[in-house]
Amino acid sequence: MRAVASTETIPSDVRVSGDQAKPTRRGFLGRLTAAVAAAGALVASWPLLRSLVPNVLYEPPKKFRIGAPESFQEGVTFLEEHRLFLFRERSNFHAISGICTHLGCTVKFSPFTLPQEETVRDFAYRALGEFHCPCHGSKFRGEGTNYAGPAPRPLKCFHLEVSPATGELVVDVSNEVSRDFRLVV
Amino acid sequence: MILQRLTGLWDKLIWPWRPESNREAGSGIVANFLLHWFPNRISLRSLKFSASMYLGTITFVVFMVLTVTGVVLMFLYVPSVERAYWSIKDLDHAVSFGWLLRRLHRISAHLMVALVFLHMFRVFLTGSYKAGEIVTSARPFNWVLGVTLLVLTLLLSFTGYLLPWDQLAFWAITVGTNIAAAVPWVGETIRQFLLGGTIIGQPTLIRFYVLHCALLPIALFAIAAWHMWRIRKDGGLAIVEQDRQEALNREPAVPKKSKTYSVLGIASGTTVQVNDPTTLNESNSVPSTPFLTVRILVVTLLTIAVSIGLSLVVQAPLEEAANPEVTPNPAKAPWYFLGLQEMVGYSALMGGVIVPTLVIFGLMLIPFLDREQGGIGLWFTDGAGRKWAVFGFLYGAITTCGCLVLAILAPTRDIFPTIESQFFFDLVNPATFLLALFAGMYFVVLKKTASTRYAAMATFCAFIISFIILTYTGTSLRGPNWDFFWPWQAWPAHPMAL
Repeated sequence: MRAVASTETIPSDVRVSGDQAKPTRRGFLGRLTAAVAAAGALVASWPLLRSLVPNVLYEPPKKFRIGAPESFQEGVTFLEEHRLFLFRERSNFHAISGICTHLGCTVKFSPFTLPQEETVRDFAYRALGEFHCPCHGSKFRGEGTNYAGPAPRPLKCFHLEVSPATGELVVDVSNEVSRDFRLVV
Repeated sequence: MILQRLTGLWDKLIWPWRPESNREAGSGIVANFLLHWFPNRISLRSLKFSASMYLGTITFVVFMVLTVTGVVLMFLYVPSVERAYWSIKDLDHAVSFGWLLRRLHRISAHLMVALVFLHMFRVFLTGSYKAGEIVTSARPFNWVLGVTLLVLTLLLSFTGYLLPWDQLAFWAITVGTNIAAAVPWVGETIRQFLLGGTIIGQPTLIRFYVLHCALLPIALFAIAAWHMWRIRKDGGLAIVEQDRQEALNREPAVPKKSKTYSVLGIASGTTVQVNDPTTLNESNSVPSTPFLTVRILVVTLLTIAVSIGLSLVVQAPLEEAANPEVTPNPAKAPWYFLGLQEMVGYSALMGGVIVPTLVIFGLMLIPFLDREQGGIGLWFTDGAGRKWAVFGFLYGAITTCGCLVLAILAPTRDIFPTIESQFFFDLVNPATFLLALFAGMYFVVLKKTASTRYAAMATFCAFIISFIILTYTGTSLRGPNWDFFWPWQAWPAHPMAL
């Protein structure tokens, strides 16, 4: 009951001595224990956090076949499952990523009524249209250069090759190339 | 005999206990868990509806509704990319009352986000984050806890958003996690740690699921308990400072933190401020039971009734199953992030990382920047405060609309077509302008009034209105390709696409 009805107060002017006084063995051991405990906690937390960083990714491969070159029509084809635009100009092929460099939405290709000869950043090419992103309104020229909206970088261009085994086109999205890259088949 | 039993039961149900003395009330508090929440006596000032509008209480009740519905939903939801969407479909069509659970959980989540914002506005505008002079309290620290709770609420809401695994969820999380990637140097690492890989997939779903169902709710519950315990320790609502001021005027002897009831040695040194006889007396206070407990009960029941009522009329949307190959146009984050998404539309680094970080830290710093102790617990402090609040509202509305007009009519990239440096556009964009305009206003008002409170009030009100306008713009005025549309303009039926 004493605890319930207690009216004691600790006078505020009383200082607990020893705080600022010379170091004591007890204080030192206390700090040492705390330091060891902190180090132990750090060591113990490492496996917990490291286990959450995957060593094996069960994700689609970065290098994949997309089909025979002649199966693609003249102009642009959107490969939905790879979020990739494949451009064909007679026997010239190149691939542009469909992933907006701003926040990763899939850009949409907005075709011109007629192809136009364009020069963007000293690179002359025949533009079929341009890319628009639905999320934040970024816009890209037909070769990938960002010109409006918040996108910080041009769209990526990926390396293309012909599979020696099957003769199909192979895209390597881990291998970024410059925008003038063309595969001649 | 039966009647006696019944009345006995009735007495137990309604709990007709009226403490005869402070001592009896104190023993009751020690003996009864529920009464640990409430003090023995409560000042008439803090009982007034306008003192708190019960926003904190309502938020907690809504969180309880979320916990209860969430636990049941955990039994019915399968966190796998193959099954998640279909278990939500089952909830809507195959599980008895599954639709009600899902709607109630969703509407409560939206309400909770809105309520924590409203609660924060109330605490700021009444100056309730101030420590007070007569008895120095830890209210500034409790404000910091509150801001932490705001962040946790947003994180909970965000992680829950992915779980239905529909198009809306998938693309909102794509945008959200890519904002994290805009952090300089470590952004991509953070993003991959969140995703558990390089793309949104099964590892992401299970990560968000565990965060949403275990880690974040436990953290939120712990900090919410701390938050409420601190309110008790600090003597209740901040408006009791006015009672203390009155007591001081009545008897010039300084009211002390009286140790009326200790917490059985759990809290040493400082005391629970249950009853300060020099502050609260028969004329300015009433016993908490029944005056406060009944009000809390009514608020609780009303909150539950309103959320159930709302979930009967508001449908929980479910779009097509998540398809990484097709981005919906427009792709939008949840409404409370649409102000952010609008700014992210100017620059991902400035709008998505720097501005929110500065705003969160700015919020946490408020009680340490504004240390004036006048008018605690009173709305807008005083008449001059009201004027500065109105000024802040108008200034915020005009500058935000100005920046929006700039962003829509003349994007910075169009003004400087020859500049290619991304760094330049991260620095020069409407989001930066807004930040600079608000920071500038703080110092101008500070210089003019020599009052940190008025300066903070004007800036905070500008932020409130700016948040509302930006959220409204992102929600209602942005259509396909994030183009601007007036509310009465129809969106193009077939947005440009390949």
